[in-house]
Amino acid sequence: MADEKIKSPKIQATEQMKQLITEYYIDAKTTKLPEGSHKPICWITSGGPVEFLIAADVIPIYPENHGAMCGAARIAPGLAEVAEKMGFSRDLCSYARADIGGALTESGAIPGGLPKPDFLLCCNNICGTVVKWYEELARIFDVPMFLFDTPFIHVEKPEHATEYVRQQCLELVKFLEERTGSGFSLERFAEVAMLSVEAVDLWKGVLATAESRPSPFTCFDAFIHMAPIVTLRGTQKVVDYYKLLKKEMEDRVAQGVGAVHDEKYRLIWDNIPIWYEMRNLGNLFAENRACLVADTYTTAWAVDIRIEDPLTSMADAYTKVYLNISIDIMLEQLVELMERYEADGLVMHSNRSCKPYSLGQYDLSRAVAERTGKPSLIIEADMTDSRVYSEAQTRERVEAFIESL
Amino acid sequence: MASALETLMELRDDPYSRARAWKERTGGSVVGFFCCYAPEELLHAAGALPVRVTGENRTVSKAGAHLQSYCCSLARTALDMALTGDLDFLDGTVFVHTCDTMQRLSDIWRLNAGYPFHVDFALPVRFEGKLAAEYTRAELGLVRSKLAHALGQFDDDAIRESIRVYNRNRALLTELYDLRRADPGIMPCDQAVWVVASAALMDKAEHNEILEEILSDLRGASGRSDRIRLFGVGSVMDQWEFLGMLEDLGGTFADDDFCTGHRYFEGDVSEEGDPLDALTGRLMERGQCACKHTPDRERSARIVQRARACGARGAIFFQFKFCEPHGFDYPAIKKALDEAGFATLELEMEQGSVSIEQLRTRVEALLETIRG
Repeated sequence: MADEKIKSPKIQATEQMKQLITEYYIDAKTTKLPEGSHKPICWITSGGPVEFLIAADVIPIYPENHGAMCGAARIAPGLAEVAEKMGFSRDLCSYARADIGGALTESGAIPGGLPKPDFLLCCNNICGTVVKWYEELARIFDVPMFLFDTPFIHVEKPEHATEYVRQQCLELVKFLEERTGSGFSLERFAEVAMLSVEAVDLWKGVLATAESRPSPFTCFDAFIHMAPIVTLRGTQKVVDYYKLLKKEMEDRVAQGVGAVHDEKYRLIWDNIPIWYEMRNLGNLFAENRACLVADTYTTAWAVDIRIEDPLTSMADAYTKVYLNISIDIMLEQLVELMERYEADGLVMHSNRSCKPYSLGQYDLSRAVAERTGKPSLIIEADMTDSRVYSEAQTRERVEAFIESL
Repeated sequence: MASALETLMELRDDPYSRARAWKERTGGSVVGFFCCYAPEELLHAAGALPVRVTGENRTVSKAGAHLQSYCCSLARTALDMALTGDLDFLDGTVFVHTCDTMQRLSDIWRLNAGYPFHVDFALPVRFEGKLAAEYTRAELGLVRSKLAHALGQFDDDAIRESIRVYNRNRALLTELYDLRRADPGIMPCDQAVWVVASAALMDKAEHNEILEEILSDLRGASGRSDRIRLFGVGSVMDQWEFLGMLEDLGGTFADDDFCTGHRYFEGDVSEEGDPLDALTGRLMERGQCACKHTPDRERSARIVQRARACGARGAIFFQFKFCEPHGFDYPAIKKALDEAGFATLELEMEQGSVSIEQLRTRVEALLETIRG
């Protein structure tokens, strides 16, 4: 059948990844310790310094990851409506609306919803929205919130900004000691940071295999396989998992197996995925022999930490993430990405829910064209709120764009 | 001769006319800023005229090529003003880190508006504790050196002098609000809010003189007292027609939490010691914007307390469409006001597409509810 030919080969490691994430959620939901207490649970933002939680034996839970799951399962709009009835405007971030709705109704993509937090760790290096969202979670669950404040970098990062963040690392350590009732081990932290660096390096290695022609995977695969690096970096399990995935991708490269049949066009994706539309979009690009070889999203978790001075390098790394820098610095990274992956064009998801990611895309798309001569396509959508998305219109625009290449 | 108040009210039709005239007269630099956290005293000490830009009611023509339609109208219309040359009297701009939209607007503005200099003041978000104060002090030092580079050197004494001028302005505006809290009838709220907004559009010393005159007329005056007192919640308030309508319908804002209103002048700066320490002190202590995180000082508690203090019976939320920080704060503040017995109304708007008739019906309904 003709359809069979364009179907992407299945990534074998997916099963292990699913198992890893399922186990993680089961552990988090059943963390009761013998004496009736439980391992502390901390809800954390996707760009947050999770290494501290892992080192303190605290279970990290990611509402954004859950938001993505709700988006992919197409249940986000229903949860968002709960928040909307409380007075949260439909124009606010759809992750936040779905998460607040899920928290209040104890429901979501996981049976019974996410396990309740004992405290919250919010890092604003991805947006200011998370600060407001976590303030609401602190009210709902009546738990303390630690804001890890990473100053935005417009042109350059002054020394006092790094020092401010480094000092907060120490405050966070104190906060965790108070919450867990046990001392924070810097040795354990160094171990965790090392595992985190190892996993991040492996993940970078996975992403780098897509530099090959044909690319062994697409960004739609990366969006799924990034879950462990986001949620569990700093653990041995994640290191093991990415070794497996990297090996599979390297084998594909060696055997010339491409994710997209007869790959002709190579594109870069910008912004958070359109979670409810991943499968359709993946098919749509594949049908048109276009492979989305890299993206600006999954690389956001490829931060560097130096073992010699983990606190300073972490302060630096967590402040310099993609969404915490000005668009001219973003442009340099985007151009580098386009060149490294030999991309023919750029696909930008203009995401109503994410202003720091989306505002500036018009300027970026023009600047990329100037610098690389490559065109961009801008898709108007929302990462989880399918109510604002038009499939027909997107299909038409994607097909026209690829034709223009 | 026109009264001091009349002179100010005329400015409302052409808000930047005084800045343009000042520039022509003095040859000095005019510097735009958006947010009431901007270090105006430093700009003033550098000899520049700080002028606040808060967008305006207009349909954008050029900003649409840079900012999506789901970006708030403050950013879209302000950028449009810059790109169409309406702000060509500016010599530079100072941006303050507040919300995601402003931080991206700063990038786009820096790369497209073409003014000679651009400074970012990366305020912390966590407004509590020693770390944030130390960081803010260091950041103010950096802003000061950037301004000195762009506008010429200025010393601590110059900053202290500016602090005195600004403190005087804040004291006079505080008195105006105190008088109105006691008797809102002495001045309609559309005028009172404009008196505050105009402080950020002209030379401060001149504004102080005008305020002295206005206040000398108001002290001891008595106004109509039958208006229903309301409390205004929001950020920028620049919808004069709406405020006039509120007065016509028999309501008035007796106090507010607008950043172009009470939040603009709240809190003094110490005139002793290191001036940057003093400026840091006010930044940390005053009532904060929805963009800032103050763990121990919930905005809702402050708003309920202030609504009570001004004798309000209800509150109106004046929300900009697509504004995340204020949008997220709304349910909690509304709940707190509900529980404290205030009637509330949320109005969502975009500059340039405000339908006064629609707002009228809703405001009438609120006032009816209160009248019972």
